[in-house]
Amino acid sequence: MPQHDLLVEAATVAENLALLDSSAPFLEPPAARRSRVRRIAGTFAMDLGEPDAPVADLPVGTRQRIEIAGALAADPGILILDEPTAVLSPDETASLFASLRRRADSGHAVVLITHRLTEVFEAADRLTLLSRGKTVKSCLVSQTTAGEIGGLLLGAAEKAEGETERRTEDLRLGGGRPAAAEKGLQVLSVESVVPAGTSAPPASFSLEEGDLLVLLAIDGNGADTLARCVAGLHPFSGRIGILGRPLPAAGAPRAFRAAGGRFVPADRRAEGLVAPLSLEENLALPTPPGRLFLDRAAMARLAGERLRQHGIRAESPASAAATLSGGNQQKLVLARELDDRFGPPRLMVAIHPTRGLDLSAAAAVRDRIEETRRAGTAVLVASSDPEEAGLLGGTHRVVYRGALSDPLPPETSLPALGRRMAGLES
Amino acid sequence: MTGAARRRAILGGAIAAGTLVLLAALVLVAGASPGEALAALVGGSVGSGAALGETLTRATSLVLCAAGAVLALRAGVLNIGLDGQFLMGAAAAAAVGPLFDAAPYAARLALLLAAAAAGALFAAPAVWLSERRGVPPVLSTILLNLVAAAAVTWLVRGPLQDRAADYPQSRPLSAEVRLRPLAPGVRTTAAFPVALLLAAGSGVFLSRTKAGLKIRAAGASPAAARAIGLADAPLRAGALLGSAAFAGLAGGLEVAAVTGRLFDPFGTGVGYLGIAAALLGGTGAGGATAAALFFAALGAGSSALQRDTGVPAAVATIVPGLLVLAVLLVRRRLSGGEA
Repeated sequence: MPQHDLLVEAATVAENLALLDSSAPFLEPPAARRSRVRRIAGTFAMDLGEPDAPVADLPVGTRQRIEIAGALAADPGILILDEPTAVLSPDETASLFASLRRRADSGHAVVLITHRLTEVFEAADRLTLLSRGKTVKSCLVSQTTAGEIGGLLLGAAEKAEGETERRTEDLRLGGGRPAAAEKGLQVLSVESVVPAGTSAPPASFSLEEGDLLVLLAIDGNGADTLARCVAGLHPFSGRIGILGRPLPAAGAPRAFRAAGGRFVPADRRAEGLVAPLSLEENLALPTPPGRLFLDRAAMARLAGERLRQHGIRAESPASAAATLSGGNQQKLVLARELDDRFGPPRLMVAIHPTRGLDLSAAAAVRDRIEETRRAGTAVLVASSDPEEAGLLGGTHRVVYRGALSDPLPPETSLPALGRRMAGLES
Repeated sequence: MTGAARRRAILGGAIAAGTLVLLAALVLVAGASPGEALAALVGGSVGSGAALGETLTRATSLVLCAAGAVLALRAGVLNIGLDGQFLMGAAAAAAVGPLFDAAPYAARLALLLAAAAAGALFAAPAVWLSERRGVPPVLSTILLNLVAAAAVTWLVRGPLQDRAADYPQSRPLSAEVRLRPLAPGVRTTAAFPVALLLAAGSGVFLSRTKAGLKIRAAGASPAAARAIGLADAPLRAGALLGSAAFAGLAGGLEVAAVTGRLFDPFGTGVGYLGIAAALLGGTGAGGATAAALFFAALGAGSSALQRDTGVPAAVATIVPGLLVLAVLLVRRRLSGGEA
């Protein structure tokens, strides 16, 4: 059961379920296919839509149910489900877990991959906690608590108890910048925004000059998607305005940039940089110097200046961006995004800006963001790392299953934050 | 870096050697001696002034189509439609050329402009289908090739048919309008240096101009180009239209310099061979031009091969296909070595 369904879009529900049924005969009359849909829908108490409806026309929830029902109906010895509940309603989730429980009780193995702690404690017998590809803990669910796993998940409870206490103390979110007495200019307004393809509740918030908002969420809960909507890279419904100018709902990165928006993507190699092009060329984009021909001398000057300013270590300005280390690539992205050639940045959107970076590169990136904010740029960060969020300062909101929390009080401790991100507390 | 370069050289040498061995084997199967065959190939392509002229004449369209293929490939678009765009360019030149018999220079200018415009216009449906309807250009341009071939068949029997002739062919360009050979005894005309200049220009455009850099960025990483605010769709569209204009111009030059008129069937797959040259040349303008010249020499040489040794010309024309397949086979390894 993959995270994103692998149904054949052009085929109907009945045809897709026939494909998922390994015991389906080579030739099968349409009536038999339709009756399979009704039989499976009945057995697992799931609404699978009209048997003759093309899958492409169905909402994501129905598609997910078809995939789940198809997997369950195949009666496999081992069933592996990757984030099966992302688009299911609470009722459907409960009924899915009941089916999984019946399977387990009848002697079949079920592997559930999830970011949601509540699901682990609701459904599982044993758990294995993975972090960056390493097993952090593997035990019976009955031998641990959601609090312990939540702490481990955030990498904070590994230390001895006393130290944990101190670290926790250190890592309170903090208040960031004290609230300005006078009203600043509103830079970003987000009104009732629902990212396309999600069933998230409408999100609303606004940012003023010099504001820093960190959207904290465990991956897959929608903080990234919301940030991408603002950056014009994901379609949405609702209204997003930058300095009063509305952004097209279909997504328009150029409109975002024209309004003074700057973007640091989660995947710097795919979206931040054109990896095969040189550092010089990357820094020159999207508006290289020169009239018709590239002004190579100006490009070299610009690159030399930026590499020095941002402490980017590279073999030469002519080497490909792909050859840089992750930290230097991220610095390169920031150097381009914060370039004053494009006018003053008014709004910066950054997704996981320090993910995968070593400590000094991460600190440099945070310093850049803080400098930018102090210069009056509004900053929106999406992060899954509470430690990063604490170090960044500013205001914090948790995104859980697409829903945006109120701003967290500054005295929120790290474990409390972890519990909120995992959906154990609201 | 040096390790990758050495690996590249070794692989390139291995490919060339393998191709030669295979070619020799094919010649043996055809019942001739490989040594004589090689002599015929070389003699027929570069062995004399006339042979060289034949090679350069054949190279003209090929160089332009290869440059066009590179332009589109660098923007991330595979323009399989070069052949159809070439035919449309030839048709436009054959239609416009005879209109200006009195003014040869105006006629040449008009027919070449018409050829380039016709090529680009013929790719416009592919641009629209790709950006508005999500139809891959690979698919739409290959289908447009069939349309172009059918259109030529119709044009030479219908609107463009020469009333004075019994054959299905268009009215000829007048001798004043046709490009004249650069030297007595060779077929090569000014079309060849023009093609070389344009290919070099396209290389300079890609590497040295602002638009060229943007096109390379959009082709190398569409997601990054979009995220950093480049207008990736117009860049792709512009590159595809420019690529098609090159192919159209190649068709126009073929009419003005070689055939003097349109007939059916016209091209001999020069558009496809241009793509092969672009791939063999590592999607760079210089490499593609070199590969196009090599293919043209092979084509000229293979005629001599058939004439002198009785080995079918097709034996030599197998080579471009084999070379490109071999290059595609090892390209993953080459790019892997660079990373």
